[in-house]
Amino acid sequence: MNETIRACLENVRKPARYTGGEYNAIYKDKKDVDVRFAFCFPDIYEIGMSHLGSKILYGLLNSMDGVWCERAYAPFLDMEAEMRKRGQPLYALESGDPVGEFDILGFTLQYEMNYTGVLNMLDLAGVPLRSSQRTSLTPLVAAGGPCVYNVEPMADFFDLIMIGEGEEMWPEIVALYRRAREAGMDKQAFLREAAKIGGIYVPSLYDVIYTEDGRIASVTPKDTAPAVVKKRVVKDFDKSYYPDRFIVPSTEIVFDRAMVELFRGCRRGCRFCQAGYTYRPIRAKKPETLEKQAKALIASTGWDEVSLTSLSSSDYPHLETLCESLVDYFEPMHVSLALPSLRADSFNLDLVQNIQKVRKSGLTFAPEAGTQRLRDVINKNLREEDLLEACKVAFAAGYNGVKLYFMMGLPTETDEDLLGISQIVRHVIATFREYGKNKARGVRINVGISIFVPKAQTPFQWLGQISEEEAQRRKQILMDSLKIKNVTYSIHNYQTSFLEAVLARGDRKLSAVLVRAWQLGCRLDGWDENFNFEAWMQAFADCGIDPAFYANRELAWEDILPWEHISSGVTKRYLYSELEQAKKGIATPDCKAGCRNCGALSLTGGGRCDV
Amino acid sequence: MFKVRFCFEKRDTAAYLSHLDLMKCFQRSFVRAGIPVKYSQGFNPHIEMSVVVPLSTGYETVCDLCDLELTCDELPQGFVPSINGALPRGMRVLSAGKADRPVNQIGYCAYRITLPKGNENAMSALFDSPVLVEKRSKRGSREVDVRDYIRDLTFRTEGEKTVCTCILAAGNDPLNPMYLVKALKSAGLTPEDATAHYLRTGILDQNCQIFWE
Ligand code: SF4
Repeated sequence: MNETIRACLENVRKPARYTGGEYNAIYKDKKDVDVRFAFCFPDIYEIGMSHLGSKILYGLLNSMDGVWCERAYAPFLDMEAEMRKRGQPLYALESGDPVGEFDILGFTLQYEMNYTGVLNMLDLAGVPLRSSQRTSLTPLVAAGGPCVYNVEPMADFFDLIMIGEGEEMWPEIVALYRRAREAGMDKQAFLREAAKIGGIYVPSLYDVIYTEDGRIASVTPKDTAPAVVKKRVVKDFDKSYYPDRFIVPSTEIVFDRAMVELFRGCRRGCRFCQAGYTYRPIRAKKPETLEKQAKALIASTGWDEVSLTSLSSSDYPHLETLCESLVDYFEPMHVSLALPSLRADSFNLDLVQNIQKVRKSGLTFAPEAGTQRLRDVINKNLREEDLLEACKVAFAAGYNGVKLYFMMGLPTETDEDLLGISQIVRHVIATFREYGKNKARGVRINVGISIFVPKAQTPFQWLGQISEEEAQRRKQILMDSLKIKNVTYSIHNYQTSFLEAVLARGDRKLSAVLVRAWQLGCRLDGWDENFNFEAWMQAFADCGIDPAFYANRELAWEDILPWEHISSGVTKRYLYSELEQAKKGIATPDCKAGCRNCGALSLTGGGRCDV
Repeated sequence: MFKVRFCFEKRDTAAYLSHLDLMKCFQRSFVRAGIPVKYSQGFNPHIEMSVVVPLSTGYETVCDLCDLELTCDELPQGFVPSINGALPRGMRVLSAGKADRPVNQIGYCAYRITLPKGNENAMSALFDSPVLVEKRSKRGSREVDVRDYIRDLTFRTEGEKTVCTCILAAGNDPLNPMYLVKALKSAGLTPEDATAHYLRTGILDQNCQIFWE
């Protein structure tokens, strides 16, 4: 660490976030390295260090000879101020070297509210924001992550974007970069070559033309660019690269534990859920593989918890046998298992008690909507009876609280649906009164309500978000109806959800707004205390752009979607048929009942999903 | 059952670990190193350990002490090297042995404070008469004369820096060396925005002898 960094750290909160040096962080001798890679996470350390995908890519890139992948996170406001005051550019945590001098900067886009974070990090690194302003081959600025399924608002800033799973794309890009550098290729030539790699999207190779009223008239690929960039997936997920060591943070982060990934994709098909569609096809790891990976990670990290992650853990076909053998192995070592994303309709008390032998945590279920009608519309195939049954079993066994997650502003939602939320809550309380083991202790119900955001590459991608006035009205209904003893609730901030909706379905015209908002001081927008809605509205006004055009407008089948040239594998036709079913209030059975030919298997060249 | 005491250093990047961070880092390194640590009984079992004299975040040390309960009856073979293979950068165990001497015999700590160069003589002179500061503790804040807490104090030039070495009270009513720097700053002897660097160089008993080695 140089003197300037030290001086910055004197005056900031939680300085351990900015030092590197954690156990298992990778240090290489610079003379053995010919490609310096900065993995950039546009949110703070505590969030970035909790993210599994980053750990996989960090391990993978560092396993390559001559490549040194280091990390950079968004500094919090106090640290940013110190860095700017003292002229300290954004640095990589391992070497302390300025990120702007690296060969490749790889950003991950996890969440729309991180977009200004990308701009701020580029600026702190002294790297020009727009791809067109960076004419030399280095540094290359790339991106991946779940937001790439509509990355158009960020398209101007990146040289290339990875659509899908990076495990195979990154080694190919690094190899191409080495060839390009040796052959003295310029950046344009490099990008033309990169566009030939499966899953690589080079935004500058597409011309977008708009109609007079602001819709998209055409998207035209140039040169080598494919008309549609198809998501890249690892063919054999079970055998795909997985690190046997993770960096162990020396200071507190959000998910401070080992993680193994049960499967990718989800067979449920909730119509609002982007991950449920974009991670298809469904591919599971073998229990033996997971066991081996969990044991290796605990041995190399010393963590006392392993999380079995996926979009819906109870859908993993071998969950019980896996948990049993992991508990047998880990319990004597004081290592506990965490099983997030359990569904109430497959709730298995023995299993939950078994994994919670070492440490007890809470129960969480996500019915998402208050009535069966609306749950059919969104295809959340969970019946109230199943939820109450799960609560009954858990309460009888001694649990005395539950967290319930819902959404408001869902398509076709009526006041009756909203009142259904408090109905469910009352029924849960009644269940406790009847079956609770410790009735005297009382029940605690925590209700979390978020606001529906239509996302690209889902059946609801054509729909608009409700307006602010309507959101306020519905919020009032919820607030009035949830004044119930023993119940606490929180309703997500509308303004953040609105902005998320704008960006989630936005096009390239929004890049000007992003730059303007960042200039007006917007950053770390996902943190309520920093979120400055007025500045955002100012940015839209300065750019002459109406945000409601993106957030609230309903699109038609004929419309060209801003993300039409990016394919997650699931076809547009399939998504539209799901939208039509939603409008009729008809649920679609999950993939276990039979494949519905969503299109995702075209990515693996056939085969079948692991359901 | 064996209670081990070990001496460790915490430097460079590791200096920025808070007291809680440090405890967690040690606990994980014990697990990684396969040390037979004793867990407490109860609902949330935890490793029985304590860092003997807590150190402020950002300070370095070459002499801190940690006590740890083991399930075995004597110090395990290779205790020091195996922990050292499992620690984050900047942390290192220097020696280990039986936690024999009670910690209430600790009386003082020695520090080395590095400041921007200048004013050594005036700095020494400042402490010839009472130096009052607001000293904060768990029980609230009160005005004290820092000289009541100082056993030894020198200022000298080393290259481009001014170095202060001092021995300050530890134990029940300790003095954090930052109060000396505060006093220097309010007397205008070092710039208000100067960066001070703190290194703990010794944990001493009531007679100013090394407490444990
Ligand atoms: S519809 Fe078929 S291909 Fe698509 S996720 Fe379900 S099982 Fe897989």
